[in-house]
Amino acid sequence: MDLGFSPEEEEFRAEVRSYLQQNIRACIREAVLEEQPLPREWNVEAQQILNRAGYAVPHWPVEWGGRDWSAVKRAILTEEIDSMGVPRPLPFNVALIGPVIAAFGSEEQKRRFLPAIANLDMWFCQGFSEPDAGSDLASLKTSAVREGDGYRVNGQKTWTTYAQHADWIFCLVRTSREERKQQGISMMVMPMNSPGITVRPIRSIDGIHHINEVFLDDVHVPAEHLIGEEGRGWDYAKYLLGQERTSMGNVGFSRRRLARIRARASQTQSRGCRIDEPAFRRRLTWAEIELQALSITQMRVIDEGSAGDTGSAGPDPKTSILKMKGAEMLQRASELLLDTMGPEAMCNGASLEGGDPLTEEGSERSAIVSAYFGSRKYSIFGGSNEIQRNILAKAVLGLGKRT
Amino acid sequence: MNFGLSEEQQMLSDSVDRMMAGHAQAAAADPISHWQDYCDLGLPALSLPEAHGGYGGAEEVMIAFTAYGRYLAEAPLLQPLLSGRVLSEAGGERAHDLLARIISGQDRVALCLWEPNSGWHWDAPQTKADPMAQGWRLRGQKTAVLDADASVWLLCPARMADGIGLFLVPPHSDGVKIKTMRTPDGRRVANFAFDGAYLPADAAIGDPTKNGALLARAIDEGIAAVCAEMVGAMDRLLEITVEYMETRKQFGVSIGSFQALQHRAADMLIEIEQAKSMTFHAVAAQRKDAANRSCNVAAAKALVNRAARFVGQQAIQLHGGMGMTEEYPAGRYFQRLTVLEMMFGNTDHHLSQVEKAGGVTG
Ligand SMILES: Cc1cc2nc3c(=O)[nH]c(=O)nc-3n(C[C@H](O)[C@H](O)[C@H](O)COP(=O)(O)OP(=O)(O)OC[C@H]3O[C@@H](n4cnc5c(N)ncnc54)[C@H](O)[C@@H]3O)c2cc1C
Repeated sequence: MDLGFSPEEEEFRAEVRSYLQQNIRACIREAVLEEQPLPREWNVEAQQILNRAGYAVPHWPVEWGGRDWSAVKRAILTEEIDSMGVPRPLPFNVALIGPVIAAFGSEEQKRRFLPAIANLDMWFCQGFSEPDAGSDLASLKTSAVREGDGYRVNGQKTWTTYAQHADWIFCLVRTSREERKQQGISMMVMPMNSPGITVRPIRSIDGIHHINEVFLDDVHVPAEHLIGEEGRGWDYAKYLLGQERTSMGNVGFSRRRLARIRARASQTQSRGCRIDEPAFRRRLTWAEIELQALSITQMRVIDEGSAGDTGSAGPDPKTSILKMKGAEMLQRASELLLDTMGPEAMCNGASLEGGDPLTEEGSERSAIVSAYFGSRKYSIFGGSNEIQRNILAKAVLGLGKRT
Repeated sequence: MNFGLSEEQQMLSDSVDRMMAGHAQAAAADPISHWQDYCDLGLPALSLPEAHGGYGGAEEVMIAFTAYGRYLAEAPLLQPLLSGRVLSEAGGERAHDLLARIISGQDRVALCLWEPNSGWHWDAPQTKADPMAQGWRLRGQKTAVLDADASVWLLCPARMADGIGLFLVPPHSDGVKIKTMRTPDGRRVANFAFDGAYLPADAAIGDPTKNGALLARAIDEGIAAVCAEMVGAMDRLLEITVEYMETRKQFGVSIGSFQALQHRAADMLIEIEQAKSMTFHAVAAQRKDAANRSCNVAAAKALVNRAARFVGQQAIQLHGGMGMTEEYPAGRYFQRLTVLEMMFGNTDHHLSQVEKAGGVTG
């Protein structure tokens, strides 16, 4: 046991930091730090710069651009990306569909998709959730019926993040009705411009357009767009959720928010600064301490996971700790940030004459209030806090297993 | 103490409820178009002396604002409550003329309490009124003026040698710059810059040595009203959430059958009941002397704020993705509650007001 970072790890951190500082444009980092919504091109630009240095997909197999770095090094990388305000490599690409194609896709699919996914030449969105299949994802209804050289797909996906930016969507669809609802599910990819795909924007409570409904009406999907084997979609989905854990706790992101809070709260106002208020300062200090704990918990869980690869058995149940605590920290930081504001928080940045927030994006709301509203999503998506608690109670503590 | 509504109070409650429910059904592009209905019910004068058409006290104000919160009403009710008190007590012909026009719905007025970078402290304005031969020149900035636009009168506190001056600024005055925005819950809010705006001598109302105390009283009434609005909104939000829990099915059962979620809803109920009690306390405190009143009202706002944050966040959580959309009502209640949390001061602000007063006294 050696509980400090090794000199090599520290050196790696410095190397990453200086590369990011030198190569990612300041305007992009400032926008991320201020939590302004980014134009699509900035995400692409940043990911391509990361990819050049091997920073976009280090956890992938080496032949497809992976780096074979230790979990600790990867966690350091993620933390640096987050705390420096560099847009993260698109998770749908690098953490979700990429690893699945690398593990289960055909050679042809790997060649066609993986380099484009790593370089964000293809932007993927995730079509899992449906109106009636949220926490209970396995009850999804979108159907794919065999037809000639492919499938005919009908159904509806919802809450699809960045469908408006995406070139492709990866979907879970039902290819047959089986006794267990987890069976008969398949995974397939489709270009977003396929005839029959319609996207309807959903404006969320933070005033920004991130999520969408995606309607699939008689979409023709050629057989070569089926990923892996028909009927094994649920296994792939579990595999995918067990992938990259280094970003699960959002440590760098919370650290960035907390630093911003300290800075904002220390600004002098005509009647003293917020940091002088004991109640506020205490809450901030607690958040900083807990985040420190989380950063180590995260390293521990990642380290345990990498010792014995959990493979398609799905995620290590302890990652639920990271997901929950990470969500809580982001939410607490967003509250503290809100609490640095005076009455000005009641005014949106843009004047009334401004355009539709769906096109104007974040200018409609002051970014801090918007981040407070928007941060509620962290305990909902990707397995809600309640679902994570269920996992911890059952899978880790063994509660409620009837004999 | 008597928690039941009198016959008159029940009538008020019913008619306010009916009106606001109707407005909520027929959403208007501009909520100001509903304002005349409020005036017809006498709401802007509600707690003023009878001579001005008043017919109630803080209890009646609470009744009206509870309904206002329940229906997420948007007609500008808070501002006339604040200004009405100030105008009626400050006295003078000009103030009373304006008050009459406000009560009848001909004119609107907005009290400009806060200034940039001063938090919620309103009692030491930096805005200045320089005396001139025939009047005054106003210089300074005001922020976050709810329900204000270029067509309203402004009631503007300013620093004077002997206290706080109160100035009436007519709509569309020269030397007044305005920027209208939306609050995060979609209502109208404005910032003002006074760049040497000229005001006639009789624009100054009240007595600078007493205006501070008068404003404090109006604000405390406003805080009690906002607490009531928050309770009304929380009550409805919990109803919406429980309805959703009963109808939303996952894993073949309604999510309301999960005990973890039942407990959460029960916790929300407890917080709301506590908030309601503290709102009653704030209403009762209006009859106390100034120091006692302000401390108890601040205590109420601190608790109601905390409840609102919990109830709002949990309502979103229990709705899952549906809670995150602006198209569904839960999110709009959460937005409204968040804005109201900030109205007159957030939780930390009110806690320190209570602490400065030496803690909660009975
Ligand atoms: C901002 C945002 C972005 C998203 N992006 C995507 C995306 O890109 N692609 C995609 O496929 N999906 C996406 N989602 C969907 C997300 O994964 C779902 O919202 C999530 O799975 C919850 O499902 P639901 O919204 O249907 O809520 P429900 O499952 O209806 O849950 C409602 C409430 O019930 C609770 N609950 C449910 N089951 C249980 C249980 N067994 N025990 C206790 N409590 C329970 C939940 O925790 C929640 O509080 C996104 C969601 C959000 C909010």
